[in-house]
Amino acid sequence: MNQGGSGRVSGRVGGTEGGLLFYLSFDTDLQVGSENHTPMSVASTPSLSSRIVSELTAIVGAENVLHQRDELVVYECDGYVIEKSVPDVVVFPTSTEQVVGVVKLCERHQLPFVPRGAGTSLAGGTLAVGGGVMLCLTRMKRILEINTRDRYAIVEPGVVNLWLTRALAGTGFHYAPDPSSQSACTIGGNVATNSGGPHTLKYGVTVNHVRGVELVLPDGSVVQAGGVTEDNPGYDLAGLIVGHEGTFGVATKVTVGLTRDPEAGRTLLGVFESVDAATETVSGIIAAGIVPAALEMLDNLMIQAVEKAFHFGFPTEAGAVLIIEVDGLDAGLDREAQAIAEIVRTHGGSVSKSISWRTRKEPEYVAIWKSRKSAFGAIGRLSPTFCTQDGVVPRTKLPHILRHITRVGERHGLRIANVFHAGDGNIHPILLFDERDPDQVKRVLVASHEILEECIAVGGSVTGEHGIGVEKMEFMPQLFTPEDLATMVALRNMFNPTGRCSPDKMLPGGAGCIERKSPGHRASA
Amino acid sequence: MTWPESPLGGRLGDGRFAIATDRPETVDALRQAVVARVGEGLALYPQGGATALDYGGVPRAPGIALDTRSLNQVIDYPAADMTITVEAGITLGMLRSVLAAEKQRVQLDAPHPDRATLGGVFATNTRGPRSFGLGRPRDQVIGVSFVTSEGNLVKGGGRVVKNVAGYDFPRLLTGSMGTLGILTQLTLKVRPIPESSALVWVPFTSLDSAAPALDRLNISATRPVAVELLNRLGSRLAGEALGLPIEDWTLVAGFEDNTESVEWQVNRLMIELGRTNIVIREGTSSDPLWSALTELQAAEVGPLSFVANLRPSSVVSFVKEVDSSRWALQAHAGNGIVRGHATGTSELEGFAPDVARLRALAVRDGGNLILSRCPTEAKAELGVWGEPRADWNIAERIKKTLDPAGVLNPGRFVGTI
Repeated sequence: MNQGGSGRVSGRVGGTEGGLLFYLSFDTDLQVGSENHTPMSVASTPSLSSRIVSELTAIVGAENVLHQRDELVVYECDGYVIEKSVPDVVVFPTSTEQVVGVVKLCERHQLPFVPRGAGTSLAGGTLAVGGGVMLCLTRMKRILEINTRDRYAIVEPGVVNLWLTRALAGTGFHYAPDPSSQSACTIGGNVATNSGGPHTLKYGVTVNHVRGVELVLPDGSVVQAGGVTEDNPGYDLAGLIVGHEGTFGVATKVTVGLTRDPEAGRTLLGVFESVDAATETVSGIIAAGIVPAALEMLDNLMIQAVEKAFHFGFPTEAGAVLIIEVDGLDAGLDREAQAIAEIVRTHGGSVSKSISWRTRKEPEYVAIWKSRKSAFGAIGRLSPTFCTQDGVVPRTKLPHILRHITRVGERHGLRIANVFHAGDGNIHPILLFDERDPDQVKRVLVASHEILEECIAVGGSVTGEHGIGVEKMEFMPQLFTPEDLATMVALRNMFNPTGRCSPDKMLPGGAGCIERKSPGHRASA
Repeated sequence: MTWPESPLGGRLGDGRFAIATDRPETVDALRQAVVARVGEGLALYPQGGATALDYGGVPRAPGIALDTRSLNQVIDYPAADMTITVEAGITLGMLRSVLAAEKQRVQLDAPHPDRATLGGVFATNTRGPRSFGLGRPRDQVIGVSFVTSEGNLVKGGGRVVKNVAGYDFPRLLTGSMGTLGILTQLTLKVRPIPESSALVWVPFTSLDSAAPALDRLNISATRPVAVELLNRLGSRLAGEALGLPIEDWTLVAGFEDNTESVEWQVNRLMIELGRTNIVIREGTSSDPLWSALTELQAAEVGPLSFVANLRPSSVVSFVKEVDSSRWALQAHAGNGIVRGHATGTSELEGFAPDVARLRALAVRDGGNLILSRCPTEAKAELGVWGEPRADWNIAERIKKTLDPAGVLNPGRFVGTI
């Protein structure tokens, strides 16, 4: 590991012990090419003046402001628990106008601000770096329009992903992106991180299903990007905004595309003695020209956790299981399912369950996906704390990266469970640890780095769906050249010239950081 | 700098000529050419197969053509990963044949595939009938590299199918008309070539009888990958040479899947529409019709062509307002895209009022109406990019950020871009 990386790791550990010490000691100017940005620090703003709190109260109402320390602690982190930073105030705007008001107030008082949905980010995407104002969008939760004839819905950002699915039940349409956290995560958050989920293999990720975004820029102006119709003349701003991780502004309305429900599906549970056999099967299915709707893998540790929690009937002695789903028109599915079963057997596996379904509500179907999507929760039975990683490799490199993960776990004396989107090559190793033991925390961070660096080395990415957040900024120079990053910084500065909107996220700071090279660095070709 | 009067340096479209045409054979050579030419005070007009030279606004400043067709290598094709990385100057036809060797394809439809380059298809956001079921160009691309007007090579995305690191340059560059950077490389998702394919040609004697069929298709038990609506002139252009029956209106539904599924869908559609007088083109016999439906958008049968983007439910009321005796119409009806081609005369006067009226209808529906073909002298007055949108001011700021000198395809795109 290079020098800069080590510095970040030890800084992180300090961060878990001392709140924002890490950021205070990290003197980088994030704003490459920007003159007037000074990194904020909690030390300099222990609390906002009561005047600002009362101004915010005037905008959103007293019931939509939190400013007492004990109330704010809840918002000190999101699903990424390794770094913490308490915002100075949390507001819950209920309209675009209120968001504009809050943002303009932040502009006037030069306060940093950060949008937040349900806080399910696993990369610290909603961490209030430097304190300031957190705009919690969970009270902008209306579904404004559903139009199945024109296949779109317009929602406010705080609408929970699953609410939209529920609202569409019975219409014959659905909103395709279904992250595992869909019962909690919001559409606004999905837009910020370009979320995926188990069904992206066939149906694509969030950006493929977003047509329009209303975005409040950091200067308080409101942009209507895209709209209900396709191909509006101009740049694909909606496409650019998806995945901005809150660094362009605050999304206040989203127009999503709707997808026809499949007529039917077949969901198979393939059981394997080893992870290797399961990953080879994944390659076999793809090579046979089959594009499953989902292709998910759980390894032995994960199977045991899930089985203890949900008693679905996973074979606890298996080395790995694959959930393989094909959907579409019933007429064509039996042959596809048979072909898949044959590939499973060819690789030494067996099909222990084969669910033939017409709707996604059938009990056995619901049970298998509940087990899969609640897998992270089940981990609590194995370990008090865990760190979920998010890496991507070319599908054919899955056997390699999983062997690598096993070796990394052995080397650092860590238990690592795996549950992931095998069909996309999107791995989610879950590193188990006890956060009270600083040495374990340190080993987890080093192990995470070794896994992600190998993802880069084989041509992949350090995030498939969780985002860069604060967690992975240091990897950006390994994925991108200084020219790539300078272009991204220039775009960010165009939308967010003072850098006060989601400060210190996604794009790494100072030139020293950008210039460093690692052994995993890949040329742009 | 003045405009050359001779075509010896190459053509830029709209009757404008290039001072010279550079044909870089490597990305480095392209970067050097960009730096040198911008240093000479020239504008840059990237070109691929020159199939859409007249598309967009009129070139605003004298400059050179940058022919990207020598950048046509396959960089990486891991077929088992279902991705391919190629240089942007490869033609769509060449790309298809590379993929066909592995029984795969890229989900793109564009006219003139033997000339059209991938870079051109993406820069112009060219889409065809299958975009209803298979997605638009923006849905196929996972990584791009481009050269900026400062000569920097910049990339976004990557080579894996899921990747959320960094801003989404693949989407930003798609449809950007070469005004932000010169595409040098793209990584695309690829898919297995479907086992079976069928097109169902359903003639209707009136729009009123075709309309319920369109509504029905939206909730059909079938899952068409294409839903096209043609008026008589459009039907003639697409179907006459293929011996298809021509009525006032034609609905065309396309299906692609395994054999059992396609067969079931074709039968099912006949039941749902309650129709027997339809023509089915299946398997390889569907190829010429797929091709005709794709080529139709490039028809040159009169002085003017438009593309309206609407809500799909508004397609019927919109085409009702178009004089079908003078406009050949093709709608990608499932997507709300209506293409119209003026026919019969080279006189513009008769058609110009239609443009204003139809554009107003489209704008009222939340869409717009652009002119994909228009005589050069009428472009400024008729407004090729439609009614200005509020978000163009952001587009202009993005343009200034990525191309501060304003030398990439000046005059071609929306607003002042």
